[in-house]
Amino acid sequence: MAEQEERKPIYELRDVVKKRASDSYSFSLRVPSLRIFPGEKIALIGESGCGKSTLLDMLAFVLQPTSCEEFVFAAGDEPEDISAAWRRSRRNRLARLRRHHLGYVMQTGGLLPYLTVRENMNLSRRILGMKKDDTVDELAEELGLSRHLGKLPSELSTGERQRVAIGRALAHRPSIVIADEPTASVDPFAAEKIMALFIEMVEQRNITVIVASHAWRHIKQLGLRRLAHHTRRSKDGHAAETVVSG
Amino acid sequence: MALRQSLGLATRDYFHEWQISVCFVLALAAVLGPMMVLFGLKFGIVGSMIEELREDPAKREIRPVGSGRYDRAWIESLRKRDDVIFIVPRVRSIAATLEVQSDRANRILPLEVIPSAQGDPLLPPGSAAPKGLGEVVLSASAARKLQVSVGDGVDGSLSRRFQGRKERVHLPLTVVGVAPPRSFSRDGLFASVALSEALEDFRDGRAVPALEWEGEAAEGERHYTGFRLYARSIYDVAGLEEGFERSGIEVRTKAADIETVRRMDRTLSAIYWSIAVIGLAGFSLSLGASLWANVDRKRKELSVLRLVGFRTGDIVWFPVVQSLYTAVLGWALACAIYLAAAWSINLMLAPQLEAAQEVCRLLPRHYLIALGLTLGASVLAAVLAGIRAARVEPSEGLREI
Repeated sequence: MAEQEERKPIYELRDVVKKRASDSYSFSLRVPSLRIFPGEKIALIGESGCGKSTLLDMLAFVLQPTSCEEFVFAAGDEPEDISAAWRRSRRNRLARLRRHHLGYVMQTGGLLPYLTVRENMNLSRRILGMKKDDTVDELAEELGLSRHLGKLPSELSTGERQRVAIGRALAHRPSIVIADEPTASVDPFAAEKIMALFIEMVEQRNITVIVASHAWRHIKQLGLRRLAHHTRRSKDGHAAETVVSG
Repeated sequence: MALRQSLGLATRDYFHEWQISVCFVLALAAVLGPMMVLFGLKFGIVGSMIEELREDPAKREIRPVGSGRYDRAWIESLRKRDDVIFIVPRVRSIAATLEVQSDRANRILPLEVIPSAQGDPLLPPGSAAPKGLGEVVLSASAARKLQVSVGDGVDGSLSRRFQGRKERVHLPLTVVGVAPPRSFSRDGLFASVALSEALEDFRDGRAVPALEWEGEAAEGERHYTGFRLYARSIYDVAGLEEGFERSGIEVRTKAADIETVRRMDRTLSAIYWSIAVIGLAGFSLSLGASLWANVDRKRKELSVLRLVGFRTGDIVWFPVVQSLYTAVLGWALACAIYLAAAWSINLMLAPQLEAAQEVCRLLPRHYLIALGLTLGASVLAAVLAGIRAARVEPSEGLREI
């Protein structure tokens, strides 16, 4: 713990709030304090609707917080003030951060149907103009996708598609990989295998990882730090607030 | 870099979803193809009518009605005008006849004498014009009846009653040309102005020393009763006619025919353009609507692109590139439809047409204009969809199944 305190956190959030409201329901997510350090493996466990995805989207700079005291991201050379970037609508700057530092694994697919497996995995590298090397082939080898490289996503099973998505999230060597229930759509047996492989791969590459899941038992043996959170619902059921910290 | 990626991905997507792309292309060709056929018909029909007007010199002729009194200076002043391509003075029509005989045909043929000169629109361009007092060009029917052709000699004769007795003179003439049948259908003889003047002088009892015809000495300035005048183009006829009428000279022209064709051109153009504008507007709307709906359909994929780090500006290109493909392919298909339709229309109507005449016809620049308009309409439609695509929040589409 003491060792971690000396290092600079990659994420530092203070009093970040996201509110969503519709006619009959209001939901808010509050993060009083959250620090994530390089190389950490974070798990965010909870039922669907508790705000996991909301937090992940904010951490991936694709969702603007309603209000925030401090939101600093320090994967690159200079710490970035994310809250300021949102305030000034500097979306292209956020896109740049995503391009360079983030990998994102979605709940289902998120693959481009018109690209082959190889091209999908290479997408994050191509957009950065990275040179062609063996990275994609090595990832495919590890993920057991070598014989599928020339296929389109529609020819693959759900589990295989999720593995392609993992490959794409890792191919450009990001600092952080965010995964939102990466195995929710896969059968439990395959899910455990894919999750174990995923964690093993980010560990090898020393990549910070943040995983959301609704089932702790799938991942508790993988050595992840679980973020504390609790959800309060109003008596009439029309409002919910989730508080996350860690 | 990202822009090139974006273009590449939009291309891949477009051809991956070829069924939908084919529908877009067909929808465009279904509007554009018939429009091109319509325009081809309008252009071909009106074009060939205008061509006909242009090629027929009679349509450019301006003829004075009745007889007037014009001097040489006045004729010369008209010759200098830009809108006049040809003018020669005419002598009294009663004096402008000649009886002609050839060795081969056993008859004497009375011929109308038409004053002519170099550049006469009724004579084929580049052919010989009658010069001096010994050369003539015969009309096709006259040449046929006299059984003569270029280079042959004929004998012209005319008579007068002079000082109480009847006189007849002969003059040898050389046929230097035969006018095409369509330029003069009656029996006629094109002669130099000098020869036509000599014929008039003889009939008036004046001497023509050059031909050794005796008579009274010519006195005073010569006046002409008429002229043969041709406007430079059919579009100059109405203006010239107006000028003559203003100065009190009544003329007869084909201005009304020309105006009819031009009015038809204007009317057909107005009809055509209203159809074209409606068609093109309809196409832009339908393409815009489908591209717009496409953005909804592709929300997740566009979100993925933004999540991977594509910038807003790169995403806008997505629908734009795809609509450009639709525009170019649809235009190409429309051209093919047009060519097939034009070919069969022209083939069907070929028996009623003169050689090389086409009812349905487009110039290369018309194809390019069609392409330009299509590209413009498509880009306009796509930019709207593109702006919408750019507004897709990356977090919006991610959770959709």
